[in-house]
Amino acid sequence: MTNKLTIAGKQLSSRLFLGTGRYPNPYVQNKAIEVSEAEVLTFAIRRVNLSAPDEDAILQHIEKPFQYLPNTSGATSAEEAIRIARLAKASGLSDWIKIEVSQDEKMLIPDPIETLKATEILANEGFIVLPYTSDDPALCYRLQEAGASAVMPGGSPIGTGLGILNPYNIERITEKLTVPVIVDAGLGSAADVTQAMELGADGVLLNTAIAKARNPVMMAEAVKHAIHAGRLSYSAGRISKKKYATASSPIQS
Amino acid sequence: MRLQINGDEHDLDVVTLKDVVKHFGLQEGLVVTEVDGAIVDRSNWKDINVQDGMKIELVHFVGGG
Repeated sequence: MTNKLTIAGKQLSSRLFLGTGRYPNPYVQNKAIEVSEAEVLTFAIRRVNLSAPDEDAILQHIEKPFQYLPNTSGATSAEEAIRIARLAKASGLSDWIKIEVSQDEKMLIPDPIETLKATEILANEGFIVLPYTSDDPALCYRLQEAGASAVMPGGSPIGTGLGILNPYNIERITEKLTVPVIVDAGLGSAADVTQAMELGADGVLLNTAIAKARNPVMMAEAVKHAIHAGRLSYSAGRISKKKYATASSPIQS
Repeated sequence: MRLQINGDEHDLDVVTLKDVVKHFGLQEGLVVTEVDGAIVDRSNWKDINVQDGMKIELVHFVGGG
């Protein structure tokens, strides 16, 4: 449990990556970030609203230095994702990039082919690439081989809170990959987070589950403990599942 | 100077790209610029003279997951 998560040579004490969207206000957001002890924060890149430049700006509210993980949300092709990644890097704030490419507005399912293409090109350009992808073990492996520094399969569609729809796949992915696996998207509560960690995930990325909880700060704390509990449970090694009962006490005295 | 900034026409009294960023009161350290499809590093803003019809994109980090 004491072993740290390392991504592209950077040691992280926390296995929680936190999104920065949809919080009720900057105060609650900062408090939730603080309580969660997350060190990696995700952002999106958008045009400045020139009639109200500060309205949706975010960084002036963030207080201490974090590892920034900008995403390419809004991209529908590898080309668009690459453009956004280069813009993000030009900020001088981070060379990490979460690839997010989707052509499907209703489901926001990541496009596997464009995601793989963008991962390969950006990794070759020297970016630290963390692709958000579907929970396909073969695809996750291909992303690793294309140069991803970590791979981030979704538990279920973004913002649904449906948890991990295919735990079998997530476990196959964590077994197979040698780069860290961060379960991203769809996690809805501390229980989902614990499950992800028990399946061998190296970390989780959450946004809506915390930002839209009735009490985001309390949920941030719950999730922090869930990661700890899940990781300990994974390391301890759970019992195998059996069809019939086994008595806890000896049958004969 | 008529410029197309973030998709809208703007008529600004500016000389350089740095002036454009200043005109909108943006925090320089948080904005990234693209001129006619090419990213311009912050250190070069003062050297880029804007011209009529240029397409400028001003982007920044916003909340996201």
